Amino acid sequence: MSDTIRLIAEFFAACVGTIAFALLFQVPRKYYLYCGLAGACGWICYKLILPHTTEPVSIFFATVLVILLSRSFAVYKRCPVTVFLIAGIFPLVPGSGIYWTAFYVVTNDLERAGARGFLTLKDAVAIVLGILFVFEFPQSWFRKVLTDKNK
Amino acid sequence: MNAESTREALDVASLAGDILLASGAEIFRVEETIDRIARAYGVDSSDAFVLSSGIFLTAESGKKQEFARVRHIPLSAARLDKVTAVNQLSREIEEGLHMPKEAKAWLLDIQRMPDKPRWHQVLASGVGSACFCFLFGGDVVDSMVAFLSGFVLYFYLLYLLRGRMSKIATNISGGALVTLIAVFLYQAGIGHHLDKVIIGSIIPLVPGVNFTNAIRDIADQDYIAGSVRMLDALLVTFCIALGVGLIITGYHQLAGGLQL
Repeated sequence: MSDTIRLIAEFFAACVGTIAFALLFQVPRKYYLYCGLAGACGWICYKLILPHTTEPVSIFFATVLVILLSRSFAVYKRCPVTVFLIAGIFPLVPGSGIYWTAFYVVTNDLERAGARGFLTLKDAVAIVLGILFVFEFPQSWFRKVLTDKNK
Repeated sequence: MNAESTREALDVASLAGDILLASGAEIFRVEETIDRIARAYGVDSSDAFVLSSGIFLTAESGKKQEFARVRHIPLSAARLDKVTAVNQLSREIEEGLHMPKEAKAWLLDIQRMPDKPRWHQVLASGVGSACFCFLFGGDVVDSMVAFLSGFVLYFYLLYLLRGRMSKIATNISGGALVTLIAVFLYQAGIGHHLDKVIIGSIIPLVPGVNFTNAIRDIADQDYIAGSVRMLDALLVTFCIALGVGLIITGYHQLAGGLQL
């Protein structure tokens, strides 16, 4: 499978996966597509940046994108940002880090467990920083951009 | 503004706060909504203090205290549909569209809003697991296995447990269940990457809502609520890892040595 096709397939997988989680959190149906879009764009951003840098850095930029999109959608659709944010961030959650840390702990490979656990922590901190960074932007920026577009 | 109408207005405000907090909204949204509704109905002296598990609301006029209420709200599952609905209603109240009585009736309706059908949720858990398994590098067969274990996981949570077990037991057993299914099928020759299948299918258990809300609460300087939610998220994560770990240890004892 060539890289581009794989990337397109992953875009759709991330979109559908995010929508599935939006359903689990009881997001109203009319917002599904926006949730999916936020999740899918975040994942593709992560995948595109990853070859050039480390995992936490690419997670940081992907988180920034997800939250920029979520805040824009929230202003555009006039609804709480949480609706898009929580589902959209899911593809970036370091699930594999949790798994491998647990795995190395139970197989008594404590050196690797420490390294992997620390990387997972760094990933989580990257998400935290991404969220904090974008929420510092004043709401008026989003309003300005989006109302201009609507006119 | 007499005492009766103050009471009615704050009744509405506190009910709106209840629903928001129980549905997984951020603390500042709860405080802001209570404040907005109270002021829209002409109560300027109200004061709300919101924690992750409780709301304290008072109002006074001059020296006389007119209203005080403490509500305990346990941590529960996210209901973003309710958050959206209350948000919409509070905007309409601000525009002066609803009298307190009407607004209260609306809020009670919102509180009773039904869940998405359970089989939708079970299906969504399966589809979500399969998609994430694919994203983390699994192939098509792995994704199908992840679909099955994600599907069984939510079937177990919604039909068999129905919230009767403690959070800790639920997450340990949930993590163990998906790992058991993945290991069993892997051993039977179905699925190529055991790790990817397990990672995909534990994602429905991951406490994304509490984690995200915890960060945002701490950023808004709601430290108590933020730390409680973060603790909850860490505990759940730890329990999932424990559940996965238990089964993998057992598998290694039986199968002997590294096979992954």
